[in-house]
Amino acid sequence: TYLNDFWEKGRSDGEEQSGEQQQQRASPARPSFGKKQLPSIPKNAVPITKPASPAATAQLANGTHASYGPFYLEYSLLAEFTLVIKQKLPGIYVQPSYKSALMWFGVIFIRHGLYQDGVFKFTVYIPDNYPDGECPRVVFDIPVFHPLVDPVSGELDVRRAFTKWRRNHNHIWQVLMYARTVFYKINTMEPLNPEAAVLYDKDVQLFKSKVVDSVKLCNSHLFDQPKMDDPYAISFSSWNPAIHDEAKERMFSHKRRPEDHQKGLPVSGLSWVKPGSTQPFSKDDNPPLS
Amino acid sequence: MVANGNRDGRQGEALVLKGVDPETCMIVFKNHWAQVVKILEKHDPLRSNTSSNMASAVQNYVEHMLFLLMEEDAGQAGAMGPILEFVVMENVMERLFLWSLRRQFTDDMKLEQLKMYEMIVGQARQPLLHHKPVLRPLMMLLSSCSGTAGPEVEAELVSLLNQLCCVLAKDQSVLELFFHTSEDQGAANFLIFSLLIPFIHREGLVGQQARDALLLIMSLSAENQRVAQHIAENTYFCPVLATGLSGLYSSLPTKLEVPGEEWHCLHREDWLQMPTLVQFLNSLEFCNAVIQVAHPSIRDQLVSYIYNGFLVPVLAPALHKLTLEEVMTTTAYLDLFVRSVSEPILLQTFLSFILLHRHENVHILDTLVSRINTPFQLGTVSLALFQTLIGLYCEDVMLQLILRYLIPCNHMMLSQRRVVKERDFYSVSAAKILALTPSCCSPEHSPPPLRQLDSILWSKGTDNSPNTDPSGDHPPPHQEHAQIYLDVNYLHYLYNARLGISSCTRACQVWSAPYDGEDPPPEEYQPSALEEAGARGRQAQTVNPKRSHPHPRPRPPCPPQTTDPAPTNQLELEWDDSYDAGPVVPPEAATAESSRPPQPPAAEPPKHIQEMRRTAIMLVKGSYIEESDFQDDVMVYDLVAKKDARDTVDRRRPSRETLPESDMDSEFTLEEDHFKVSSLQEKDEVPLSNGLSLPPHPTNMEVNSLEVTKGSKEVKAHVADHNSNLQSPLATEVGDDLMDQYEELIRTLGSDEAGTGGSSHVKTVDKEFRNPVVTPMEEDEVDFSSFSVDTPELEKQHSSLFGTKLRSGSTRSHSVPFTGPFVSVLLSRLENMLDNSLHVNLLLTGILAQLAAYPQPLLQSFLLNTNMVFQPSVRSLYQVLASLKNQIEQQASTKKDFPELITSAQHCLLARESSLKGQDTNSGDSRECSPLEAGRMMKSSPPPQPKTISLARTEVFATVLFTEFLKELAAIAQEHSILSHVPMEE
Repeated sequence: TYLNDFWEKGRSDGEEQSGEQQQQRASPARPSFGKKQLPSIPKNAVPITKPASPAATAQLANGTHASYGPFYLEYSLLAEFTLVIKQKLPGIYVQPSYKSALMWFGVIFIRHGLYQDGVFKFTVYIPDNYPDGECPRVVFDIPVFHPLVDPVSGELDVRRAFTKWRRNHNHIWQVLMYARTVFYKINTMEPLNPEAAVLYDKDVQLFKSKVVDSVKLCNSHLFDQPKMDDPYAISFSSWNPAIHDEAKERMFSHKRRPEDHQKGLPVSGLSWVKPGSTQPFSKDDNPPLS
Repeated sequence: MVANGNRDGRQGEALVLKGVDPETCMIVFKNHWAQVVKILEKHDPLRSNTSSNMASAVQNYVEHMLFLLMEEDAGQAGAMGPILEFVVMENVMERLFLWSLRRQFTDDMKLEQLKMYEMIVGQARQPLLHHKPVLRPLMMLLSSCSGTAGPEVEAELVSLLNQLCCVLAKDQSVLELFFHTSEDQGAANFLIFSLLIPFIHREGLVGQQARDALLLIMSLSAENQRVAQHIAENTYFCPVLATGLSGLYSSLPTKLEVPGEEWHCLHREDWLQMPTLVQFLNSLEFCNAVIQVAHPSIRDQLVSYIYNGFLVPVLAPALHKLTLEEVMTTTAYLDLFVRSVSEPILLQTFLSFILLHRHENVHILDTLVSRINTPFQLGTVSLALFQTLIGLYCEDVMLQLILRYLIPCNHMMLSQRRVVKERDFYSVSAAKILALTPSCCSPEHSPPPLRQLDSILWSKGTDNSPNTDPSGDHPPPHQEHAQIYLDVNYLHYLYNARLGISSCTRACQVWSAPYDGEDPPPEEYQPSALEEAGARGRQAQTVNPKRSHPHPRPRPPCPPQTTDPAPTNQLELEWDDSYDAGPVVPPEAATAESSRPPQPPAAEPPKHIQEMRRTAIMLVKGSYIEESDFQDDVMVYDLVAKKDARDTVDRRRPSRETLPESDMDSEFTLEEDHFKVSSLQEKDEVPLSNGLSLPPHPTNMEVNSLEVTKGSKEVKAHVADHNSNLQSPLATEVGDDLMDQYEELIRTLGSDEAGTGGSSHVKTVDKEFRNPVVTPMEEDEVDFSSFSVDTPELEKQHSSLFGTKLRSGSTRSHSVPFTGPFVSVLLSRLENMLDNSLHVNLLLTGILAQLAAYPQPLLQSFLLNTNMVFQPSVRSLYQVLASLKNQIEQQASTKKDFPELITSAQHCLLARESSLKGQDTNSGDSRECSPLEAGRMMKSSPPPQPKTISLARTEVFATVLFTEFLKELAAIAQEHSILSHVPMEE
């Protein structure tokens, strides 16, 4: 349980950092240079897909889309990711994979209810014609015993909540939110796991014990190697003071860092506008000029 | 010689002295002194000619004595060592000084004495300056060296002063003594400070040393209220500094020889070649440093003097001179100054001058903005100035330039207001911007290396995903690799956009509002809510067509005010009699003033005006003397000498030698004597037997005779005033007519630092000022008022003249949505992109990219959101870009060789880019290239050497640049979609 706490704190921290890394990856760091220098090819090449929706292609008649489309997709996903960070969803942590922005690794902590103490790892797959395609898919690493989770593939039935994925209205954080909700509010309609649905409706006690078993099973595999060989895959390890103490220390001190960071930098911006005014030099502490 | 020849000898002696016991040293010292005293008593230099033998004997003894003094260690618990004690008791230093004073007090002797003090102050092992009998003769010496000394003495004097300031900085307890010692001579003063002032603007080492020393005192003032108060209230430090700027400015070339058409701002390499400019920048830098470290009272005073003594009376008229070249030069100077200033308060001074000051009823800012549209180099230089201003990340600047026109949100359809803050999730705007890429420039059309379409092997990263699909109706993800071609060049734009937006966002955290269409609330800044202001505005329009453009100056919802902010009214005051009308109040106070009972008009001009006047006079006279501070000191010692001279028959004189010790007595006597001397002085019959000179005479000055006469009168009046301390102020009588000429005076100040020497030059400058010589045939003679963006009838005129089109929307009224003259002018120039020269386009696109990087949603949505629906009368950046694309497509379709030309231009720009890249590392002036510009594809500066295409094919270069600009904008839009929406901490 301490581990869980640690993880939660840790993730929120790591998430920010990895978000940073991820973004930098999108536009690789380079010394100041002239534009025409041939850049090294990014290791995680920007994912591309077949051209986006026909509508979009038609709109961009002269072929610029072919060259820039991947950038649009990448930035759309980055925007989604920043939105997830902003939402601060309780108990949910995600991180785009190193290899592709279309695949996000995640973990969800269930803090109460039937699935209490469950720690479920999952992967989000985003269609490559995003945002004009289907709803993103959520697949648990280990199929949790749940009416809406496929007992074989571990895929959560997300599409029932997002029958039609609408750009600008639907966002990936909503999918994650939904993935969390299913563990608190059980729905047995049109189940992917009929056994779980039936048990829940007919024999809650048995359902509960099956859930406990499933939670135990999932948690027992917590320290397993990530299913995917990806540097950004989420992996758990048991507490190792040599590594984690220091990391924990850093995380706790991280909170203070932004201010310190700012203090070090010279304040580059200027303002003498009094809040609430739109007059230049309206602040009271302006030295008199005459 | 005392100090001179003995440094080497001393080294040897030091070794010998080691081990000699203090008592022996004491005995030796006393013996020497006894010998010296004998000589002093026997051979008074005023009675008999002191033989050089005697003098050198004294020197010899003194040398040894000083050496013993220096080598002496302090006694226990910091007590004086016995030798020092003896020196203090016997008043050794003072007696020595007075003796030499009565001999021929030549520069050589001064030099000698200065060096002597420099040596003992610097090398003594115990603190000497704490003791009045040591300090006082030092002060006398310093006073006697002021004003008239030769360059060698000056150099030594400043060096010693610098040393004293270092001592002060380390040990503030001496400070009190510095003040007290002076008090003996009457008014409290701070001699070492006053003595440094005349050297403020001096060139070379002396000036540098003086400025360093003054800075030490400035930082002292930050902690010591007394020092601060003294400097602010009793010295002319600030006025001298500020008027000095004016003086130095007037010696700058009024017309720059620009290297070429593409030149647009003064780079380091440029101004290093101009000694006068270097000197001006040194002084400006010094002001900057003073403002940084000094006490707020000094700081505020200095800032005020710079505003009222330099910017308003000197720079404002200079910005409105009559020829294009002159105005262009002034603009380039202003740009350089703004770039050179780092201290926010000083920057604010410059900025409020630019933003709020009105010259002849027109805001400087409006004038500068309108000049962007001049087709000559002035337009380019003006653009560069605005690039600098925008790069400051200053809310006040952005507010005046653009934001205040956007706050009411009238430029968009009402329904669009909620869109302002919306985030562009799917890079729609970027895609629309990039879709404007001309077909002749589209990525597929250009072969590498011009278009860096790079094949990138990428994986969809779905390798190990489960292949099962519960619903089975969409295909399972499969391992997939594909080769695609990307414009890799675009990654650089993204990277730079990220850097630019990040630093801008960080900088804007100090701003007062987010400018997101909600805060400040648009409702409160509607024209209807500003009816009164509007009415006034219209009134003003009828009165003065120049002011016809309605600045919807949004006001805070506080008390109703006039259209123009109070500060403006204050600041626009010129150097004329209006100052006499009443006290000048700070802007804030002025606003508050109305609620207070009206104050009776001051009988006198404000204090700072009086001071400025005095300072100016003194500067004109060639050497700056602060009469109220140390002039009396000088006189005291002068008088001591003269009195002695007259008293040759007086046998009781020995008691007079120690005159300053009996304070009451001496002061009384001196006052009396002083008056005598003053009257003598007027007849020019003062016998100066000792080489000390009286306060400056106008003898060597050939400056404007009128001013000089007045000036000397003034000074005399002041002297009299000062001496009869509490009597009615005589000075004011002289003042009034002088006031009238003040402005001229200040301008004619001349040429050289502190006005020394350059009298003929002054005349020339003066002449130019009064009768600006403009040959009517001069091609660059242009009436700048015609460039005002907001004068419709004139618009036609100059559009026909210079081919620049102005917006028809400029005949606007309050009801017509308007995004401000700056945006309007920028877009107008951009619209002519195909006709603009390459460097103009580089500046233009640079500025627009700079603006686009600002995170404020109002700006972002206006510049980058291609989905926004604006009012029909409002032109957007996207519209202009779209029309440019059409123009380009038309060109491309009509000119057969267009594709080849494009390729040549691309090669040419590439070559230029790589040649610039090499130079970049050398130029250290970091502020000259903003972070945004740093990574731009091509940069401005030296002319490219096209091999196959002439730069005159502006439309070809513009096409290439246009394409790059689209990428730059798109990249900024994309980065905004992820950066601007994440709180900064994250």
